[in-house]
Amino acid sequence: MDVILQSLAVVLQPTHLLMLICGVVMGLSIGILPGLGGIVGMTILLPVIYGMDPHSAFGLLIGMVAVIPTSDTFPSVMMGIPGSSASQATIMDGYPLAKKGEAARALGAAFTASLIGGLFGALVLTLIIPIARPIVLAFGSPELFMLALLGMSMVGVLSGNNPIKGLLAAGIGVMIGALGDAPAVPEYRYTFGIDYLMDGVPLVVVGLGLFAFPEIVDLLIKGRSISEVPTLGKGWLDGVKDTLRHKFIVLRCSVIGVVVGFLPGLGGSVVDWIAYGHIIQTTRDRENFGKGDIRGVIAPESANNAKEGGGLIPTFLFGIPGSGSMAVFLGGLLILGIQPGPSMVTEHIDLLYTAIWSLALANVFGAILSIALSKPITRLTIVPFSYLAPFMVLIITFACYQATRSWGDLIALLFMGILGWVMKQYGWPRPAALIGYVLSDNLEIYLFISVQRYGIEWFTRTGVIILAAIIIGSLAMGVFYQARKSSKAKASGERHAK
Amino acid sequence: MRKYLLFVGIVFILVSSLAMVPMVQGADFSGKTIKWIIPFNVGGGSDVWARLYSPFLQKYLPGNPIIVVKNMPGGGSIIGGNYFHTRVKPNGLTVFGSSGSTSFPYLLENPKVKYDFSKYQIVFATPVGGVCYINPDLGVKSVKDLKGFKKPLQYASQGATSLDIIPLLAFDMLGLNVKAIFGYKGRGSGRVAFEQGEVNIDYQTTPAYIKNVRPLIKQGKAIPLMSWGVLDANGNIVRDPVAPDIPSMPEAYEMIHGKKPSGPAFNAWKTFFVAGFGVQKAVWLPEKTSKDIVETYRKAAAKVIADPEFLKVVDKSLGGYKQLAGQNARRAFDQVLNVSAEDKKWLINWIETKYDIKIK
Repeated sequence: MDVILQSLAVVLQPTHLLMLICGVVMGLSIGILPGLGGIVGMTILLPVIYGMDPHSAFGLLIGMVAVIPTSDTFPSVMMGIPGSSASQATIMDGYPLAKKGEAARALGAAFTASLIGGLFGALVLTLIIPIARPIVLAFGSPELFMLALLGMSMVGVLSGNNPIKGLLAAGIGVMIGALGDAPAVPEYRYTFGIDYLMDGVPLVVVGLGLFAFPEIVDLLIKGRSISEVPTLGKGWLDGVKDTLRHKFIVLRCSVIGVVVGFLPGLGGSVVDWIAYGHIIQTTRDRENFGKGDIRGVIAPESANNAKEGGGLIPTFLFGIPGSGSMAVFLGGLLILGIQPGPSMVTEHIDLLYTAIWSLALANVFGAILSIALSKPITRLTIVPFSYLAPFMVLIITFACYQATRSWGDLIALLFMGILGWVMKQYGWPRPAALIGYVLSDNLEIYLFISVQRYGIEWFTRTGVIILAAIIIGSLAMGVFYQARKSSKAKASGERHAK
Repeated sequence: MRKYLLFVGIVFILVSSLAMVPMVQGADFSGKTIKWIIPFNVGGGSDVWARLYSPFLQKYLPGNPIIVVKNMPGGGSIIGGNYFHTRVKPNGLTVFGSSGSTSFPYLLENPKVKYDFSKYQIVFATPVGGVCYINPDLGVKSVKDLKGFKKPLQYASQGATSLDIIPLLAFDMLGLNVKAIFGYKGRGSGRVAFEQGEVNIDYQTTPAYIKNVRPLIKQGKAIPLMSWGVLDANGNIVRDPVAPDIPSMPEAYEMIHGKKPSGPAFNAWKTFFVAGFGVQKAVWLPEKTSKDIVETYRKAAAKVIADPEFLKVVDKSLGGYKQLAGQNARRAFDQVLNVSAEDKKWLINWIETKYDIKIK
């Protein structure tokens, strides 16, 4: 307890607070820029921290990474373009809300959810540190495979009325993910002698190609502003109230966020989809999902901020990063002369609490600043899009080029963009393709390891059976609600697939 | 929107200032910017290594140039290596940081590799060590108990052409029945797999061994077996100072087989050991770099590795090994370059038959 309060005192010192605020401002800016996420932020800050005192460096790095999932909501809601990989699912309902002129409400709800999710993540982190090691160790390769499968099962609810299209789209995603070096054998797949393809297509290129590119094209074709109504409608305070009303959704999705964050190997990029899928699966009245249901904004936003807290655990205690930005953060730890491992809990416990306090404070600052910014920024949605389009194209190509800094990024973006646009035109669920892409590596590696190590026996492990039951249960629940709804009224149109 | 513009503008200025790098006259680097190519991502081991070194190198190079680490990841470092080989001018303003993962495809004659270490000038090198340990449930107390030990063992591997050649070939030479399980993403996940019981034999590089495996040994959850060893001044493999009470791999071989290791297997192992551990990371100047520049760099490197402040960094973050500058680095790396075609062929054949893969 003493250590916790001492760390708070350290965090509240002016130098540290200044670093933290620098980090927060930087994180907010990076989050707002589509396609730039934690990896880019960490990459920019890493050279700066050399020689810094670890507490201040933590303020800077964690302040930055904690608020990216807060501000990346802006482009997701207002333009249908993912601000970073953590806010892809927010598009599903956030963007339709913006089209209805309710961008401010969606943002208010999102920032409140982000705040609560982030604080919850910090709280869980504090409580879980003593028992984190055994929990992480309980997830062997077979269990991680089942978790990836659980992520894949979300494809069902994200495909609306056309599960076959959803499955096929997911299959396309898995195939895109399989390009490049094979994860378990020294071979390259489908590289056609092109050096760029040796490492596969980067996530940011796939995400922006599938989601941003088609949106820009369509908005330009329609030649209007993003919002279909000229007024901005309800204000952000309504959004805050929405979130507080759905407090159980916030808590449930925060738990999902922390858990996904702290299991190494699942990767942070699916947490928003898992939360979004979960909320659809467990909701009775789901006609409005995909058309602007506020719950579809709250769920992913509370999960993606909570994830950052969870993600620190494997990084600190095992030295294995749970996501791309944590991988860079790990390098930062080594530059500061801190070797992660079990000794973090004994020798460096003060640093651990500094990290947690920084996380919590950054979330508060981030949410306040984002709410303050939201009023002027939402006005962008009523500007005719032809004024915005050149900037958006520039920023997106710039973000993609950050992935590997080779021409291949831009060419790949073009291919992915055309694929995304065609999928959108013909009503193929792009989220399913993205989930397939993100999980393809995990599915392959963990299945491969499980079979090599345990043969067919891997399926008899307790953890695997429990996870299998959860997958079957959630699928059954989805089918059950779906059937009830269709028998009540023949709903029309492609709901979630859009 | 103004914010975007500002951001883009700043980036523009940064990029264009990097592009304006003039030529060096003589070997004074005042006002110059030196690009240090790291063929891996930011935050990786090689990146951290370069960032720890660069402020000191900056201090001791004449004229105190600015050193910028330029990450050029891709193809397991082959893309950065090829860039260095084909595009870099020998003016001393660009250096290349290689790692074991760069040397291995070169040694295995991967057709994608264009770079050729025999043509470059080495400036300095950083060794690292590795310690192998085993699950105590198997009843093994030390490496002696492995004589005739036939129980099946599992090892979490990143691939048969990666740095894992060192442990896998060592296990084979010691006559152990180890099944390599491929697909793990790094030594960190291998260690977690060991703690989970998914595998029962593992190794870690020394910094990770100190922080993560020693606690396991104290709790009786791991038994240290052997270190790979370190190179002494004469090029022999001796005990690792980090683990002085356990044998090095050649000693372990002698304990089990009753004779010193020799023959193509050991020659190949030693070559790859030097490339992967003995001079794991090295800094290179391109072909045709003038003697003047090479000597300037080597002198600066010698000063860096004698700086007491830098030695603290070495102790804290680089495993505490004696860094090799100039001729010392060159002599050590010569062992890699002088590998006989026969030994190399033996190793490629060993990988191909044992793991049923095609390397070429």
